Amino acid sequence: MFKRILIANRGEIALRVIRTAREMGIESVAIHSDVDASALHVRMADMAVSLGGRLPAESYLDMDKVLAAAKESGAEAIHPGYGFLSENSVFAARVKEAGLAWIGPPSGAIETMGDKIVSRRAMTAAGVPCVPGLTDPVDDVEAAVAAAADIGYPIAIKAAAGGGGKGIRVCRAPEDMASAFRTASGEALASFGDGRVYLERYLDRPRHIEVQLMFDAHGNGVHLFERECSIQRRHQKLVEEAPSVVLDDAKRAEIGEIALRAGRAVDYEGAGTVEFLWSGGEIFFLEMNTRLQVEHPITEMITGVDLVEQQLRVAAGEVLPIRQEDLSIHGHAIEVRINAENPFNGFLPSIGTLSNLRHPGGPWVRMDSAMYNGLEVGLEYDPMLAKLIVWGPDRDRAIQRMIRAIGETNVGGVHTALPAALQVLRDEQFAGGDIDTHFLEALTIEPPDDYAALAAVAAALYRNGLARRRALAPVEASRGGWLARSRAETASFANYPETLAAAEETPGR
Amino acid sequence: MKTFVQIGERTFETEIVERAGRLEVLLDGKLCDVTYTEADGDGQVTVILDGRSYALSMGGDANDVSVTVAGYRYDCALEDERERAANLAAREASKGGGTVKAVMPGVVVELLVEEGDEVTEGQPLLILEAMKMQNEIGAPGEGVVKSIHASGGQAVGAGEKLVTLEAKPE
Repeated sequence: MFKRILIANRGEIALRVIRTAREMGIESVAIHSDVDASALHVRMADMAVSLGGRLPAESYLDMDKVLAAAKESGAEAIHPGYGFLSENSVFAARVKEAGLAWIGPPSGAIETMGDKIVSRRAMTAAGVPCVPGLTDPVDDVEAAVAAAADIGYPIAIKAAAGGGGKGIRVCRAPEDMASAFRTASGEALASFGDGRVYLERYLDRPRHIEVQLMFDAHGNGVHLFERECSIQRRHQKLVEEAPSVVLDDAKRAEIGEIALRAGRAVDYEGAGTVEFLWSGGEIFFLEMNTRLQVEHPITEMITGVDLVEQQLRVAAGEVLPIRQEDLSIHGHAIEVRINAENPFNGFLPSIGTLSNLRHPGGPWVRMDSAMYNGLEVGLEYDPMLAKLIVWGPDRDRAIQRMIRAIGETNVGGVHTALPAALQVLRDEQFAGGDIDTHFLEALTIEPPDDYAALAAVAAALYRNGLARRRALAPVEASRGGWLARSRAETASFANYPETLAAAEETPGR
Repeated sequence: MKTFVQIGERTFETEIVERAGRLEVLLDGKLCDVTYTEADGDGQVTVILDGRSYALSMGGDANDVSVTVAGYRYDCALEDERERAANLAAREASKGGGTVKAVMPGVVVELLVEEGDEVTEGQPLLILEAMKMQNEIGAPGEGVVKSIHASGGQAVGAGEKLVTLEAKPE
């Protein structure tokens, strides 16, 4: 096993990896940008290397700097986390060329799965069902309009180099196709430097179901069942749960097998996730994420498997110690992402300085967080600050536990998406499991009337307290006047009329 | 002095009177049975209202207070009688004008209208790229484009003016 690893990431995922590494007796090296100098991952790691810079491109995305930091610190392996360089096949290859172990899949698997068009071809060849659509990118508006008619509306226009929900446009009617195509292509070019897009059918009432995989380098692989992530907006997940309510044991085993087939088709190693859309009882391959995912903790909660530990073991060449028949689902887990976003204003990013933090506790509550009082939340990095995860013996208890835990939580200084998650969890349709990927978009997020009068009374008292403190505080101007006055009074014994006039002219009274 | 607390569409009228060292609170004219205790200096507060206990997280300044209770967040806009009168007068004075501002920092990718164009409510005025997403910024209402404050490719900060609309000539 490794003695020391470098974590090429920041935020809660860096902490997540540090924690398991420490439990296994492995030292962690943190890297950080200038703005992250006092971040929690830097404080918690055994060693820290500054990369300088402010933006991701100047720090966490700079391959040369990351590799130099690994050399300098004597790390034997690099864990990429998620985002940043985690799905960069060039970086994966360079890590190995530098004589380091890469805690992730082979470069070739990343490359194949990273291109929507190439992965679709590979999956079709491996017998993994895909969404009806084109396997080749469309060249221009005319070709797009013609092809769309064959596939059938509604149509999803997707960037070939996209991911994480970025670069997807939906077009519902032929007359909108031309403008939708132009926007999607422009967006793809701006975001990924690659304007190629392809078209596919947009599925009705789809549910997002994904399967967790773990492979070693010796040809062994298991699936760790599914997660459902249908509660999302603009394709960014907010509430995730495991298992999904729509799968029975037979369907679960079938989907697990299909996911394993997808992984084997690209000679996968390490942790990975195959994402599917479920619509009308059918599943369709969406993409494979060739890394650890944000929502991996809910799988850990229902299976008892530490996925980061398994990642480290297989990256070090060990044989996967779990067999498929060892795995079973125990209870139900839910995760809520704590994003710095304003759910009352279209989930726009919210920036500020964190204050007044209150973390939840109690049985079966897990908080994976990079938050601390004083953390500056800017626009440089992903708005996800923390994840709240709970476990329950069944779905209803897990929902009630999450509602309870959110009620104990506070994040001051920025807006978070927590009130939106709470509204979802309290929704009857959600409780009944009747959800799809459009569920959240259809909700209007607003606080209930229940506590409005209480809030009004508290706000008035808070304002009153502020005013009272301001009146008592010796602020600069009044303090100056007060000093001048007292000096004037002292002097008044000597020269009464003049000093009185001076005291009256003193500003700030 | 009365303080008006606006939460969404609702406005509550509050009044705080100090009597023998104790604060009395009137909500819409009715005396509340309430105690308010600061648990720390950071905004953790215990409120006992009508015998029920609530753990609140407070933040903000004299005019904008956020109250988080049971996981829900209430953004409250506060004004006393004097502020209310002044704000009302200011709103009255700026009536009829409509300026579309950037709600977040981004880059203007493309302008879709020109000065003098008549626009309908919701009609896209420009495309703003922010957080790697292209967002169509629509007209808040019917009108005529009076002036355009940004050009294609320009980076804009949050709150910066983008397009000013004026009422359609009758």
